[in-house]
Amino acid sequence: MKRQSFALFGALLVAALLPACNGGKEGEGKEKSGGSDEKFPPQDITEEKEAYYKENSDFFQFKTLADLPTDLEWVNNSHLPEVGSPKAKKGGTSTARIQDFPATLRTIGPKANGGFRGYLLDDVMVRTGRRHPETLEFFPGLAQEWAVDKKSKTVYVRLDPAARWSDGEPVTSDDYLFMFFFMQSEYVQAPWYNNWYGTQYTGITKYDDQVFSISVPEAKPDIDARVLELVPRPEHFYKEFGEDFVDRYQWRFQPTTGAYVVRDEDLEKGRSIALTRLEDWWAKDKKHYRYRFNSDRIEFRVIRDTAKSFEEFKAGNLSGFSLNLADYWYNKMADDNPLVAKGYVKKATFYNDRPRASYGIRINQAKPLLKNKDIRIGINYAMNFERVIEKYFRGDYTRMRTSADGFASMTHPTLKARPFDIKKANEHFAKAGFDKRGPDGILVNKQGKKLSFTLTTGYEPLKDMFPILKQEARKAGLDLKVEVLDATTSWNKLQEKKHDLAFMAFGTFVELYPRYWEGFHGDNAYDTQEDGSDKVKPNTNNLTSTDLPELDKLIDSYRKSEDLDEMREIAFKMEEIIHDEAAFIPGYVVPFYRIGYWRWINYPDDFNVKISDSAGQWFVSWIDEEAKKETLEARKSGKTFPPSIEVYDKYKVD
Amino acid sequence: MLAELFVSDRALIVKYEGKLHFPTYGAFKPGTVFGLDYEYEVNYTDLKKLFNSKENSKNWVLMPLVPYSPIKENYRDDDTYPPYKPSTSTKHYLGTDQIGRDILARLVYGFRIAIFFSIALTLLTYLIAIIIGCLMGYCGGLIDLIGQRFIEIWSVPPFLYIVIIVASLIQPGFWILLVLLAIFNWMGMTYYMRTNTYKEKARDYTAAAKVLGAGTGRIIFKHILPNTLSTIVTFVPFSIAAGITALTSLDFLGFGLPSGTPSWGDLLKSGNENIREAPWIITSTFCAMVIILSLVTFVGEAVREAFDPKKFTTYR
Repeated sequence: MKRQSFALFGALLVAALLPACNGGKEGEGKEKSGGSDEKFPPQDITEEKEAYYKENSDFFQFKTLADLPTDLEWVNNSHLPEVGSPKAKKGGTSTARIQDFPATLRTIGPKANGGFRGYLLDDVMVRTGRRHPETLEFFPGLAQEWAVDKKSKTVYVRLDPAARWSDGEPVTSDDYLFMFFFMQSEYVQAPWYNNWYGTQYTGITKYDDQVFSISVPEAKPDIDARVLELVPRPEHFYKEFGEDFVDRYQWRFQPTTGAYVVRDEDLEKGRSIALTRLEDWWAKDKKHYRYRFNSDRIEFRVIRDTAKSFEEFKAGNLSGFSLNLADYWYNKMADDNPLVAKGYVKKATFYNDRPRASYGIRINQAKPLLKNKDIRIGINYAMNFERVIEKYFRGDYTRMRTSADGFASMTHPTLKARPFDIKKANEHFAKAGFDKRGPDGILVNKQGKKLSFTLTTGYEPLKDMFPILKQEARKAGLDLKVEVLDATTSWNKLQEKKHDLAFMAFGTFVELYPRYWEGFHGDNAYDTQEDGSDKVKPNTNNLTSTDLPELDKLIDSYRKSEDLDEMREIAFKMEEIIHDEAAFIPGYVVPFYRIGYWRWINYPDDFNVKISDSAGQWFVSWIDEEAKKETLEARKSGKTFPPSIEVYDKYKVD
Repeated sequence: MLAELFVSDRALIVKYEGKLHFPTYGAFKPGTVFGLDYEYEVNYTDLKKLFNSKENSKNWVLMPLVPYSPIKENYRDDDTYPPYKPSTSTKHYLGTDQIGRDILARLVYGFRIAIFFSIALTLLTYLIAIIIGCLMGYCGGLIDLIGQRFIEIWSVPPFLYIVIIVASLIQPGFWILLVLLAIFNWMGMTYYMRTNTYKEKARDYTAAAKVLGAGTGRIIFKHILPNTLSTIVTFVPFSIAAGITALTSLDFLGFGLPSGTPSWGDLLKSGNENIREAPWIITSTFCAMVIILSLVTFVGEAVREAFDPKKFTTYR
């Protein structure tokens, strides 16, 4: 952006200084979204790529089909049930709201990790294979079939010959080779990806245009996921890949393997963006894709203010609206709201079953007072999440138990978060020296220091929850200074590990087993400096600054383990240690999502799939144009329909 | 200053076992003082209920008119959820907000913060404006020229953006906001001070003072300033009204005082968000604002009339 504005400034300057110059500089500084232009002279990465392949010939190997092992057991899981409903109709336009305009159309590199990436990559792009949302086994995507060889820690893949990029080019093994080159390159400016693609894979072998194999360092129980979750990168599109990748590809839409593309004319920066369905999408008749991606267009408008977007929804300008917050579900879109009562807007609660976002408080042990375990345990007992759940969330949510809820048998079966208990809190605070109450009712120690911490959060919509926690903590003699910052500011503060207590949640992927290294390994807590002292390590997810050699050892063996039962045993042990250390206070679990949507939007009979985390994630809804017309007319004439307020609890746990 | 006597969740007087307690000001009283089994601050409303429920009890509690704190939530234990309607029986005279905080309590304490803020802001800006304005007017020449250009440049950076930038770095508190607003608000007054000083400087009495050998400081503070006072005083009430509005709008936009602090801007915001379910939030805040701001303006008009330079001036 900076470069762009400089160029624009330059263009203006030139135009101002040389008015008689025939506007020769016209167009400078403007970016085109496809192909090269003056700002980005054409370049070619091919040579560099070839050299890289040669240099790393251990990683990038080329063989022929004759070298392919013959004893492989090819699977394609085509027996897995279809996703979506056969009743689904194609067509129509759905409208949605985004809070911010995407900062880039890249799906990797600086600022690419925004909320819109799901529509560009995660939820839309067809991957090599995809976990079935009900059984969690893989169904085919770009791969027609695959074979796992645990001994050689290799997964073999045969691509579907029909697989195409949205610009018509076929998807080939070369795109996978290129993906590794791309992801390992420093040009993408994404160290995490560099590291992941550099260390979590040991090589790729091309047998022919359709067949390749990828090896990984450990044959983890979900070795197939490691490879099948991969999304290749179109080599032909990234021909101009290079040092200026981040700027050059800022607004170029990468051809997709999925059903939806972003067209240049639908990109109105700062205001709106739209996805358009490919009419001749290669996977449109494939078993697991044919009833999904039904709308012809999905239009996104930037509406920053939630209250305003709610008004837009009620006016019919947005197809659906999340009613997760109690205030919206019970008050603003109550069952007796005319829109609901007259049947124009439907309400649905859908219980999903998936790894849960870890809403909770992270205690930063790098802070002097918080190093003390008794204080941490005391804080645990002083947090009245029970009241928050009962009053603020109206009893709809449940208390989180561990740091990794929702991983089926991999979640610790018996551990529970410490309940609100003033006596126990005071016992522990007293052990830490805070045994007297000051004139304001807050505990003080012998040095006269108050037991007071800042609780940082970036969740402005939840701001009304904190007065409850604060007020209840006071009863235990603990003073909380609540700091509600904007999302980015708060995240920056947490990443610099400058917080005392932080309320936040990490989203979780649907995986077989939870991750511990990111959040709890000592490597992510401190850097050892030259003089041997430790310095807090910024930019990691270890927000508790947990650094326990004992836990580190367990995490390391957990990461190496190839046996799920063994991993489970280690996971339970780790979870117990995390509980004992008391640096993570489990908050609550949202066991469902609920939305309001206009009558013309239809969902399958079970509403959605088991592991979906929002109604739109798996694109199973469809639009009924006739119902739309009917509803809009009814709204004018006052005609009513039977109201529809449904609870789908097929996947409700306990 | 005396808001606690009328609006507070602490009792005014508690009579317990023959002893009188006055909890309003001073240290908190743990529940154990009144024979309860907890060590945190007494819930006086519950205490009152407890005393009343016992027959022939000689203990009693006198609560303030509005027995609620501006920051504490009051979820009820029945199956109802806030925002609660205004009601005299629950003593929520103006109702509650979305987590059961009393609107009247928040209005009163919000006003207290706003008026303190505004007075402090006015003092600070006037101090800067008077010093710089007088200097510019009295010294004239190069100082005046540079001062004017500086003020012109200084007026350009849009204040709101600066606040947004600051808010993205730190959470602005009372003092930070005060200083920020003062830094960008002093310019207006300097012009009045400058012209006034300029005018007074040209008068004979200043020349006379000079001839008598008075120093610059003495001339400015003893002779010129009192004569420009009428201008300053007439502006004060309007500046105070402006200060209240400024803080309120910043709070409304979310760049103001930390979340949870009682403030009018915050009330307007939640009133706006709950306009259909709880219209009492926005109506009471709106009325309070209109009343206070018009009162301040009336005071301003009165002051202006009282100091009318056409009627009162030391030197004719």
